[in-house]
Amino acid sequence: MRVEYINPFVESAYNILTEVLNEEVKRGDLYLKNTAMPMLGIAAIVGLAGDVEGRVLFDMSNDTGIKIASAMLTSMDMEAVTEINDMARATLTELANMITGQAVTKLHNLGFKFDLTPPAIFTGDNMTVSDPSFEALIVPMELPMGRIEINVAVRERT
Amino acid sequence: MAITNTIEKSSAENDQKNLTQEVIDFKMVTFTLGGKDYGIDIMRVKEIAKFAQFTYVPNTAPYVRGVYNLRGDIISIIDLRLMFNLPAEQKAEDQPENGLILRLETNMLGVIVDSIDKVVGISSAQVQPPHPIFGDINIKFISGVAEYDGRLYIILDVDRIFSRDEEESPSTSEERAFAAPVSTASQAFHHQKSTGESDGGDKRRSADQITRDFIHEGLQAFSKFHVSPVNEHWFSGRLGEWQDLRKEQGRDAQFTDLEDSLEFLKPFYSHQTGAFWEDRYMEKMASALPEVESSIVHVWNPGCGDGHEAYSIAVMLRRRYPEKQIKIWAGDTDLLKISTAPNLVFPREKAPQSWDEYLTKGKNGFTLAPVIKDSILFEFSDMKNASALPKMDFIFCRDVLSFLRPDEQKRQIAIFEETMKPAGLLILGDNENLLEDGAWEPSDDFISMFRYR
Repeated sequence: MRVEYINPFVESAYNILTEVLNEEVKRGDLYLKNTAMPMLGIAAIVGLAGDVEGRVLFDMSNDTGIKIASAMLTSMDMEAVTEINDMARATLTELANMITGQAVTKLHNLGFKFDLTPPAIFTGDNMTVSDPSFEALIVPMELPMGRIEINVAVRERT
Repeated sequence: MAITNTIEKSSAENDQKNLTQEVIDFKMVTFTLGGKDYGIDIMRVKEIAKFAQFTYVPNTAPYVRGVYNLRGDIISIIDLRLMFNLPAEQKAEDQPENGLILRLETNMLGVIVDSIDKVVGISSAQVQPPHPIFGDINIKFISGVAEYDGRLYIILDVDRIFSRDEEESPSTSEERAFAAPVSTASQAFHHQKSTGESDGGDKRRSADQITRDFIHEGLQAFSKFHVSPVNEHWFSGRLGEWQDLRKEQGRDAQFTDLEDSLEFLKPFYSHQTGAFWEDRYMEKMASALPEVESSIVHVWNPGCGDGHEAYSIAVMLRRRYPEKQIKIWAGDTDLLKISTAPNLVFPREKAPQSWDEYLTKGKNGFTLAPVIKDSILFEFSDMKNASALPKMDFIFCRDVLSFLRPDEQKRQIAIFEETMKPAGLLILGDNENLLEDGAWEPSDDFISMFRYR
């Protein structure tokens, strides 16, 4: 993945998570992957189009998903969730949207033009994601609620 | 009444059992070879055919009968009877041979048999493992034996039969990597330092072999450097030098720490690694590059580190092909190094004098001018991962392959072959070569450069 794209994604993930959750966020080591990878349980996906093609995937366990959604909801004086319901899904979708949105804004300021597609949520057990001939950058984020893996696969249009 | 009920029930259960046992879930095409019955899984059989007038191919194994044109596809024809040393009746020239066309994982293949019998459906539970005393065919090619209608069928494992060459090849190449004698081809190669070994040195060789293995392991453990056909000629030469040097110092040839391994590898690295290329080196490299027909020159530079190499390549190509557009994909797995590459800042004296037109002065030092910078795309990327790259005119991969495991090296070279334009050039490290690989030929005496055939 183009070097210039890395920082905006890492930074905005860090910023947004610290901001909305009001918790300490630790970034793990970045690494690259291209084989089919198992998903943790719940994944939000945002597509990218424009000068580039690709997608950003936010992968976490159900438990982490519930805790994060609850933390976000209670901070806005709403009720916490106990399961992955519509409210939880909507909240996590919004989180994905916020992070990707900020990253894209940063990239726009650097002169790269991307568009986002509306986010989608996948839930289920034993799922794997694979996109052949796409190398993904993994940004692991450690939160008190658990771990979110941000999986960014972007390539230049050729 | 109660008793009859149970009996009925249990017999019904038995029926049920028999039924499940006889579920036909395995079908095979049966045929005879040397008078005995054999079967092949029908999923592997594309069709049953009669072969006539196939073309003899010289200098092949005796069981390869030739090639055959199957509606436009050229397939090879193998005589199973000859392959397994079974008696085969000679047919007249114009009489067609009975055969099967097999669909293997990678290709299609025709096999000749005595006669085709029929398709038999059995339950896979009925297939029994082969017994060592069976027949004339090597036991590892038999997947099992099944009885049907009073006849015993030997089921052949075609995947194993026709993939055995591939199975064997990794071990042989491994052996080659360790084998001391250097092929004549690599002796002719300019970088080759003669090992000075004669056939009489057999005894010394075994003791040497041990030292060699130890050093090889040390390189792997400390520096992730793998001795393989790619760098073996260098390694052999360096080993001799090293042993002499250590003897002089009164030390053991084996490594004790990382320092030793780094010391050993010092002469391995190519000319001007980690620095901008001097004019002389650049000119020599440029003069070895052929004309490019397309209007864009596509270059891949995996393992570019902090970008010195990629920038040097860009400057060289700009001078060599002033009319063309240059596009370089440069990647590295070292996140820190590759992150500095796009905005590499350096003092003026680090770059050659003649680079003035390609430099811009910044606050903290000099950077490359947009004319060079814009031709390079720096990526945080592992070359082992498949990615959608366009076809390349040149691939610069200096001193990178040697740091992959031998199996990864092979896979990497296959990726290069896939990514390369026909007759594209692969530039390896000064002490690396691809002479063992038939698909590549050296194209320059000075630079370790290989053309894809």
